[in-house]
Amino acid sequence: MLYFAGIDIGSLCTKSLILNEDDAIIGTSIKRSGAAYRGAGEDALNAALKDANLKSEDLNYIISTGYGRSRIPIADEQITEITCHARGSSFIFPEARAVIDIGGQDSKVIEINSKGRVLKFVMNDKCAAGTGRFLEVMAGSLDIDLEQMSELAKQSKKEVQISSMCTVFAESEVISLFAGGTEKAEIASGIYRAIARRVTGLASHIVSGKKVTMTGGVAKSKGMVWALSKKLKTELLVADDPQIIGALGAALIAKTKFNNL
Amino acid sequence: MKQRALNQCMKVSGDPYGYLKEWKGNNNKKIISCFAMNIPEEIIHAAGLLPVIAWRSNESVSIGHSHVASFNCGLTRSFIDDVLKEKLNFLDGVVINRMCLQAQGIPFILEQNTKWANIIYMSLPALYGSDCIRDFFKSELDRLIIAMEKCSGNKITTGKIVNSIEIYNHNRKLLSDIYEIRRKNIGIISAREMLSIVHSSMIMPKEENNKLLLEVIEELNLKVAEGNHKSGIPVVIYGSLCQTPHPELLDLIENTGMVVVDDDIFIGSRYFVNSLDISDDPIESMANRYLSHIPPCPTKGDYKSNWSTYISDIMNKNKAKAVITLMIRYCPPHMCAYPDDQINFEKKGIPEIMLEVEHEIISLEQVRTRLQSFVETIGGI
Amino acid sequence: MSEYKLNRLETTKLIGNIVDKHWASLRHAKENGEKVAWCSGPVFAFPYAMDMKCHFMAGYSAYAGGRGAAQQLLEIAEEDGELIDACSYHKLHMGMAAAMRKNIPVRKDVILPLPDLLISGRLCPEMSHYAEGLYRKMGVRVTGVDVPPPHQKSEIKYFEKYVERQIRESLIPALEEVCGKPFNYDRLTEILIVLKETAMLRNECWEYLKLKPSPWTLWDYGVSIAPVFYLMGSPEAVPYYKKLKAELADRAAKKIAALEPEKSRVYWDGWLPWAFLGKFSRIMCKLGMVPLVGRYPWEFFPHPETIDTEGDPVASFVKQVYSNGGQAKDNMPSLNLPVIQNWVEDYKIDGLIMFSSKSCRMWNLGHNDFIAAIERQNGIPGVVIEGDMVDTRMNSFAQIETRLEALAEMIEARKE
Ligand SMILES: Nc1ncnc2c1ncn2[C@@H]1O[C@H](COP(=O)(O)OP(=O)(O)OP(=O)(O)O)[C@@H](O)[C@H]1O
Ligand code: SF4
Ligand code: SF4
Ligand SMILES: [Mg+2]
Repeated sequence: MLYFAGIDIGSLCTKSLILNEDDAIIGTSIKRSGAAYRGAGEDALNAALKDANLKSEDLNYIISTGYGRSRIPIADEQITEITCHARGSSFIFPEARAVIDIGGQDSKVIEINSKGRVLKFVMNDKCAAGTGRFLEVMAGSLDIDLEQMSELAKQSKKEVQISSMCTVFAESEVISLFAGGTEKAEIASGIYRAIARRVTGLASHIVSGKKVTMTGGVAKSKGMVWALSKKLKTELLVADDPQIIGALGAALIAKTKFNNL
Repeated sequence: MKQRALNQCMKVSGDPYGYLKEWKGNNNKKIISCFAMNIPEEIIHAAGLLPVIAWRSNESVSIGHSHVASFNCGLTRSFIDDVLKEKLNFLDGVVINRMCLQAQGIPFILEQNTKWANIIYMSLPALYGSDCIRDFFKSELDRLIIAMEKCSGNKITTGKIVNSIEIYNHNRKLLSDIYEIRRKNIGIISAREMLSIVHSSMIMPKEENNKLLLEVIEELNLKVAEGNHKSGIPVVIYGSLCQTPHPELLDLIENTGMVVVDDDIFIGSRYFVNSLDISDDPIESMANRYLSHIPPCPTKGDYKSNWSTYISDIMNKNKAKAVITLMIRYCPPHMCAYPDDQINFEKKGIPEIMLEVEHEIISLEQVRTRLQSFVETIGGI
Repeated sequence: MSEYKLNRLETTKLIGNIVDKHWASLRHAKENGEKVAWCSGPVFAFPYAMDMKCHFMAGYSAYAGGRGAAQQLLEIAEEDGELIDACSYHKLHMGMAAAMRKNIPVRKDVILPLPDLLISGRLCPEMSHYAEGLYRKMGVRVTGVDVPPPHQKSEIKYFEKYVERQIRESLIPALEEVCGKPFNYDRLTEILIVLKETAMLRNECWEYLKLKPSPWTLWDYGVSIAPVFYLMGSPEAVPYYKKLKAELADRAAKKIAALEPEKSRVYWDGWLPWAFLGKFSRIMCKLGMVPLVGRYPWEFFPHPETIDTEGDPVASFVKQVYSNGGQAKDNMPSLNLPVIQNWVEDYKIDGLIMFSSKSCRMWNLGHNDFIAAIERQNGIPGVVIEGDMVDTRMNSFAQIETRLEALAEMIEARKE
């Protein structure tokens, strides 16, 4: 049996995935990246190997991706996460023609063809607004965790506006809303809608009229998926574990590369 | 491999203030800074002054913050910052054209904070077309002539202007020759090196720069004979009005599988693409150049020509495969112009990516990812 | 509950209808067989003279902002490729055009008919781009008038001649061609006559702002600008200001203040925050702070007594824009500083608010230098607040509130 690994060293989390030659996913792991990228990559790979009951010698080809992709020497090759998210998404949802990846530090919108090739992409790399980091800061200022925030948002009855785009501004806005007596639930849903607006600005000309999948850690948040699909006026396809899609794409590309060697 | 002349360009470009201070010490001439595009330098030169192009230093802005808000372009913020830090005391004045709102606001800050005797504000017409516009352009040059005569104490004659034009035209010719060498020998010179060559011309007296460029050409010809150039996907970069992209950004482009074959950036071909006719009416020649629509400029109201068309012509000339837009962060004229250009590139099927050029370098990592993905997209992984 | 009480004027309640009527007549112009122009910069009097219905760039932005439609239009523009940090006025128009082109449902009252002629008074590059954008996207015919702001007194007359010549040689011929009739100089004179009368009344109202306490505020004047600007020459203009003046006289006699008690009097620099006048008003009321004067709202024909209604109307109009103060002239800080310093005395100003708009760089360079120079001469404090005139995403009211509170404290401290 041949085995392939994808390691996605993101700015916040490192994801690793092992694929066998029949395209079955046999091991995964997700860990915080932390400051020392290198260690994180290796740790995640080892955890995934353990999950798959394999040793690193069993791997035939490894591709690294994500911001830390160049910092992991055992990888045979590096590919950007844009290409990897595209490929991974297409594998799970062959009908998808656009991918919205919201990770910790930026958001990306990718147009793909039926083979999972990238046709076009846009990226918000200017500020934290519209990213997982933004969500975390906002949840922090409400003193709740991300799961709770998702739950809370569902109970919201009124629409409050969080208008600032900058994390610092938005944080002070959230605090002053809260101090002014607005319910946490309403603020939570306001935060999701603010991110959805931001991402829509980036995404709408790419996603319009297409089947869209959402990937990245933020896609785990039901509140976010709900707000975004409402704003985009389209249902979003979300994999069981959307956060691992980049690593999956990397492993799939590893297999292709290996077969072409 | 011999590259004394190229190294000299890099040195001047790397420390323009140092170069100018030393030059002034040796030459006892007045130096006038031009802010930034489209200033008719030949007139300043004809007065026996040294015109140089305003330069943003690589330092991050500190004192300047309290005079220019963060949502203004890096050149404006950094220029004011350098003025306040007294790094520009070697200048004898500045000529500012009202090309954008930032440039409009600068004279006031200078008047409030410096003792410069010569803060010259020009209002070159922002439109094309009628005789009225042309006449106004010429009367603005007349005003500049008077101001420069006053500043230098020298009379500016037609003969002197023609002489300056000849020297400047020679410089333009040499720069375009260097571009031609690169065009024929892709990768022979890096984008970073090319930037420093053009930049040296914006800083040094043209007479000296002309000699230096001749040497650069010799060196390049030797290098051509040696072979061994970088290869990659041929791309054209454009934009970057008034200021330089960080050299690191250019390196990044050329380290991710692309090679810059031509450009339309200010510290690049925009500076020299337009030669002047030699005639006994030099002011008319300058009007012809200014009103020629070439290169297209988003600071002027130009309803007819289209920047993206001009860029795709440059691409065709160079057989380039893709274009990289360099957008100066918070440059409003370019921000407003870009959407239409982007649509046009897409319509023409030209792969395009826009990179923002910040004053302070932040996270080249993200830019690397974008560039690599861009290459993967063109290359079809 | 605030300890301060805001007394609203009755007259300003009438303005909504007058403005609505203007925009409605513009919306229905084509049905009525009328020609339409869009205009930026100060030259819309010329299409009016040709009986065209005319939009005005900043006026439309204020209108759309006031209707609460700005955010949606901005987002539509961004989805169409516009960049977030570009001029919001430019983007509002691109948003409107995109909504029309793509049939995106938005409030009907913010969609205007495409113009037969787009007049771009070029004060800044963004104004050119708004015209170029519409030219490229919608094929609208454009004529530009370059309106450079003078930097020194010596330039004023010289620029005035330049603008006058462009109007005669480019604008008027374009209008004649589009309308298929000769330019109506008599109508232009009529408009100037009405403008003169309106602006003279308005100047009398300005005098009331000097009273302490003041019976009205800069915000009240802000909503009353249209009759001395893009509604110039309209039949409602003079009656509106007559009414306003009478109400102010009545208040002055009864010693009714706009805000009771009036704790501090402030100068406001930069654009008025059109979409947020109410919000700013609430924040400032809480602090007992009354805005009274500002350089932007004073652009509009500050010396109407000099309007020459006998001579050549073209020259007379351009003179108002240059020699006798006005839009083009007042964008230059060096010419403004002495004017503001005098206002501080005349209007008994206690503090300065410099509103620095993030998407328009017109007013924001050197704001701190203004404060420093005025503080040196007049001894009053000032703050810079950053935000935008229509884009809510660029405003942090929590932060703005803090800065205004700090200003109030500084003013207090100086009084002690
Ligand atoms: N259940 C959840 N609900 C909401 N957000 C979540 C959840 N789980 C993870 N996240 C968010 O996902 C983000 C991390 O996602 P991901 O691993 O895709 O990012 P990354 O790849 O490290 O970042 P980038 O792609 O920007 O470099 C974190 O910001 C985290 O807050
Ligand atoms: S870079 Fe743009 S904003 Fe800055 S001075 Fe030049 S034209 Fe103006
Ligand atoms: S940038 Fe400012 S002055 Fe220029 S059009 Fe926009 S709002 Fe008007
Ligand atoms: Mg990621």
